[in-house]
Amino acid sequence: MRFAAITVAAAALAAVMPFAGVSVYAGTLVYYAAYYLVLGQAWNMMSGLTGYVSFTHGALAGIGAYTAVLAINGGWPITLALVAAVAVTAFASLVIGVTSLRLRGTAFTFATLFFQELLLLGVRKLPAAGGAAGTTLQEILPTSLPHVLMVLTAAGATIAFALLRRSRTGVRLLAIKGDEDAAAAVGIDATRLKIGVFCASAALCGLAGGIHALFIASLHPESVFSVDTSIVALAVPLIGGVETALGPVAGAILYVGLREILQIVAPSLHLVIVGLLILLVTLFLRDGIIGAARRLLQRRRTYRAALETAR
Amino acid sequence: MSCLEAAGVRKRFGGLHAVDGVDFTVEPGELVGLFGPNGAGKTTLFNLIAGAYYPDAGTIRFGGDDVTRFPAFRRARLGIARTFQVVRPFRALSIMENLLAVVASEGALSRTPEQDALQLLAGVGLADRANDPAGSLTLGMLKRFEVARALMVQPRLILLDEPLAGLTDGESAMMLRLIESVKVRAAVVMVEHNVRLALPLCDRAVVMEQGRVIAQGTPAQIRSDPAVIHAYLGDTPEGG
Repeated sequence: MRFAAITVAAAALAAVMPFAGVSVYAGTLVYYAAYYLVLGQAWNMMSGLTGYVSFTHGALAGIGAYTAVLAINGGWPITLALVAAVAVTAFASLVIGVTSLRLRGTAFTFATLFFQELLLLGVRKLPAAGGAAGTTLQEILPTSLPHVLMVLTAAGATIAFALLRRSRTGVRLLAIKGDEDAAAAVGIDATRLKIGVFCASAALCGLAGGIHALFIASLHPESVFSVDTSIVALAVPLIGGVETALGPVAGAILYVGLREILQIVAPSLHLVIVGLLILLVTLFLRDGIIGAARRLLQRRRTYRAALETAR
Repeated sequence: MSCLEAAGVRKRFGGLHAVDGVDFTVEPGELVGLFGPNGAGKTTLFNLIAGAYYPDAGTIRFGGDDVTRFPAFRRARLGIARTFQVVRPFRALSIMENLLAVVASEGALSRTPEQDALQLLAGVGLADRANDPAGSLTLGMLKRFEVARALMVQPRLILLDEPLAGLTDGESAMMLRLIESVKVRAAVVMVEHNVRLALPLCDRAVVMEQGRVIAQGTPAQIRSDPAVIHAYLGDTPEGG
């Protein structure tokens, strides 16, 4: 409850930024942190809880973006366009999920990589989507609209993750990650749960992508379906800490801050440094920054308690 | 109607006939011991019943349903629960979460899963460890924990795969008492190497060798069966 209240308060603060005279630059940073937070929480739901690693969460957002722009250009109202973005993305995830999540191990990961590439090739050849030149949103919207929507979605995604993690479904997903045979032996239908959570995770990406399309307004297949976004989607929870709701929050803020600094200091090295950071975190912190911070707090608490008893 | 009825079950791994035409039944409330030397096919039969893999031939019926082609999770939902030879807790989860992950069998859905879990943990002497990660338990505790997790399924049949393996004498005594209490809730099939300790508990014992059932009967009948003595017990009828 307290967690939800803090999340809502932080989101409210972030959401009013464009109306409170905060600079466009700072607002944009907050916007991107929110966008990557949604993708990170979506990845956290699927890959963080089940252990089935996805390399296509960025492309899923891309589907949402294209759907939203094509729908709005086709005369649909924004709300309906976003609903369509969610629906189309969720359906696309079923195509990957139903074929590869029946299997164990790395089949899913490879399927997501193929899907990522296939989508880029497909959209480039699709005249209806503007082909290789991309497509542009015909309507002119204030950026405060996607800003508010994205921040709210990020807060919603974070609370949704926290609720899922605490639910029996969340525990069952972690059981699948731990030992799929043992999970089956206690009645867990792993295939159905995996496909279900992947679909929900994709729906979230679709929504984020749809909102992001309102923000960037012009879509180019090379950048929308670039594997970079998919890597950010997994870097955010990996750096911050998987399996927790707070991990991606820390990860998203850190990532956006780091990217800003790197764009000045070493623009071409940005993904290399992020990769290095993931490597260091997985090697030395395992459960990410939030996990390490929790352990540090725990240790201090034990130390203090020991001091108390010593007196 | 029998609780479990396996008829003409066969399973081959490459050229090896691990289970070679076995008929095996368990009556409701019965505790059946499954014995035999290494490689006799006990664990394979056990896994065929649990649904870890499917037989090449034969049928398996559970409570009247043909479950031969049912995946493991579906059998668990019908009421077949199991433990593992080498314990398999969800190590990253707490003991409590391990039990809450369980999907109770159909018709046994409980409104108070936390209370049920605590009660079962108390029954295996682990109530005070409910919030500890499963990875922090000793082997003896984990073996008892797995029985509690299997009972969380609210099974009609529980399969115990070498429940005594690796336990100290004290832990074994505890486990034997636990198995007796489990029998009140469900029919039990127990694979066990320690015949000396396990046989007295059984209502009926089945002895396998090279994929076939070579003897079955009461513990007393088994002890004096010449085929069993020859194949399994060797020169020491009390050995194991």
